[in-house]
Amino acid sequence: MTSSLIQIGKSGAMAARSALELTAQNIANASNPDYARRTLSLEEVASKGSIGFEPGGVLSGVRPDQVLRTTSTFLQNEARRTSGDLARAQAELSGLSNVESAVEQAGIYPAIVDLEASLSRLASDPLGGALRAAVLEDAGRLAQTFGIATDGLDVAEADLRFQADAGVEQASLLAEELARTNVSIARTRPGSSQMAVLHDQRDALLRDLSGLLGIDASFDPLGRVQVQVDGQPLVSGTQAGTLALTNNPDGSFALSVDGTSVALTSGSVLGRSQANQALTSLRGELDTLATSVITTLNTAQAAGSAADGSAGQPFFSGSGASDIALALTSTGQIATAPAGEPAGSRNIGNLQALREALSTNGPASEADALLFNLSSAIGARSVTRDALQTIADTAQIALSAETGVDLDQEATNLLRYQQAFQANGRVIQAAADIFDTILGIG
Amino acid sequence: MTSITNSTQAFYGRSQLHIGTLRAEAEGLQNQLATGERLSRSSDDPVAASRLRMLSRQEQLGAIDAGNARQASEDLQLTGSALEAIADDLIRARELALYAANGTTGETERSAIAAELEELRLRILSNANGIDSGGNALLGGEGSGRAYEVAASGAIVYVGTASSGTIDLGGGQSITRGLTGPEVLDYDAGAGPTDIFAEIATLAAALRATGGDPAGAARDALTGFDEALDTVTRNQTVTGSRIAWLDIVQDRQIDQSLTRSRQIADTGGVDFASAVAELQQVLTVLEASQASFARLSNLSLFNQI
Repeated sequence: MTSSLIQIGKSGAMAARSALELTAQNIANASNPDYARRTLSLEEVASKGSIGFEPGGVLSGVRPDQVLRTTSTFLQNEARRTSGDLARAQAELSGLSNVESAVEQAGIYPAIVDLEASLSRLASDPLGGALRAAVLEDAGRLAQTFGIATDGLDVAEADLRFQADAGVEQASLLAEELARTNVSIARTRPGSSQMAVLHDQRDALLRDLSGLLGIDASFDPLGRVQVQVDGQPLVSGTQAGTLALTNNPDGSFALSVDGTSVALTSGSVLGRSQANQALTSLRGELDTLATSVITTLNTAQAAGSAADGSAGQPFFSGSGASDIALALTSTGQIATAPAGEPAGSRNIGNLQALREALSTNGPASEADALLFNLSSAIGARSVTRDALQTIADTAQIALSAETGVDLDQEATNLLRYQQAFQANGRVIQAAADIFDTILGIG
Repeated sequence: MTSITNSTQAFYGRSQLHIGTLRAEAEGLQNQLATGERLSRSSDDPVAASRLRMLSRQEQLGAIDAGNARQASEDLQLTGSALEAIADDLIRARELALYAANGTTGETERSAIAAELEELRLRILSNANGIDSGGNALLGGEGSGRAYEVAASGAIVYVGTASSGTIDLGGGQSITRGLTGPEVLDYDAGAGPTDIFAEIATLAAALRATGGDPAGAARDALTGFDEALDTVTRNQTVTGSRIAWLDIVQDRQIDQSLTRSRQIADTGGVDFASAVAELQQVLTVLEASQASFARLSNLSLFNQI
């Protein structure tokens, strides 16, 4: 009887100590985003169903049963989904912003306007050497800005491709890691601290993976995860699929799992693919613009005669934004006069044609439309990104409100379990007192 | 066991989100105030950015148009003074012809008159070959060389082009930039088309000739000179009215430029008063939320045990 009382007191003190340790663990991990709050469930220890020499049963105290990990499948899933959407929007927007910088900072529009302006100025003195030289300089600069813009786009494209490749490589690593975690989960006793750690690790891996690819995750009773991308299994039990990234002709990236191509719905890899597609179509528009500059000016130039009375030579050479170059070599070759005028004519008939070729629905308005389309696309996407950011932040906060550590609560627990420990100490003390009393009889 | 708790991490996350948003807003406003521009890149406001591009293009081309108008006006003023000099010389030539028409004028005087007439003819030639600000002949039309040259026979012939070019002033306006020699110096006084140089040369030759009727020839020349003077004065009026027209165009260009500057300021500029007020408001809110965050985060149960 007395030894039983000591036994009960000891078990209670040990349980309180375990709970205190868990509280300390919670407090230590209060700022760890991957950590879900742990609680200890206790179980009474009592012998029952024996031959009734003592009908009340024998009480033997308490023992720690399971380490419970607070979780919410719905909120976890929501946080993953929204962070995948946000990662996609952010990747697309940052890719497009790089493209905008490349095109806008190259200064194609100002260069076209400068060329128009120097042609206008030439009208006041069509044979003036300085004014003609200014036209050639501005034309050369226009050709160079196309080159700068193309180079900028090349850099932006290489960056997008590199980051998408890195993303896919990381996703492969994460998938393998998840498969290994599945193996460990199968080998670990449910309800142990070890299992809680593995589940934390699994959720962290899933969060990182969904930021990259946008996945569907399902769990078995043990907590092992099965990951699918567009219905195609990526992690199944202990097996992880192989990911591969290829280029589509339209600039987007195609992802395949174990050789089967899949369509992504969110994640940064999809965002980069969308940005690269926009970049490819912009490259086409830039080529159209350069071609339009080349054709309109060359056509207008061909209809005139140069300062020495010879027929106008092509203004620009090349066939697109990447190879446009100034073809005129001397200032005299600018055909300001209409065809058939004698040498040294100050007739500006063809100069007007050159200016009109540039201004009326010509390259200037095309360049403006190109910049406008790009910047309004970015404007719209920033609004989407901001909305998704708020949604993702809210989901993340909701998740941590549910599963995170509340320090006030832990402080209360600390006091509670401390008291429980002290009370159990008193029980042992009482048992010792009873024993001494019995011994003291007689 | 699931329970909704006041998770410490969620509290810090929420505070970070709110304070971060306010801070970004304040920094955006501060950036606007520092640069004086509402847009730092096109995607901040695509429509306004496109409008600004159009406006700055018009502004740049407008500045060139204004320069062209100024130069056209200066060239026309040069033409005007050349015409005035030619008119003065013609008046002197007519005066000389009037002396010569008097039957009492002797042979010596007539030859002196003839010499002065030839001198006048060369002066008119040099005025007609005067150059504009670009170094081209004022009365040479669209050619780049001289307007008149002295042929081997001694006759003065027009070598410029038949018409003078126009110059574009923007906004669909253009103006003829000058006058050609024949427009100013050719006329028809009833005896078929001729020009001043031929008229003076003929008169000088008639005055030097022995025999014949020099006084009669001088009388005949008077009608020619009257007609020539008429033509030159008419062209002075044309030049003057063109300069007046250019003044109007230049005034309009200044008005347009002012309007454009105002539009640029309205579209892309920062309204400092409202931006500063907005910044102050954001800062007040930011300060308040920082202070309340600091107080709330101090409120831990651990301080009490």
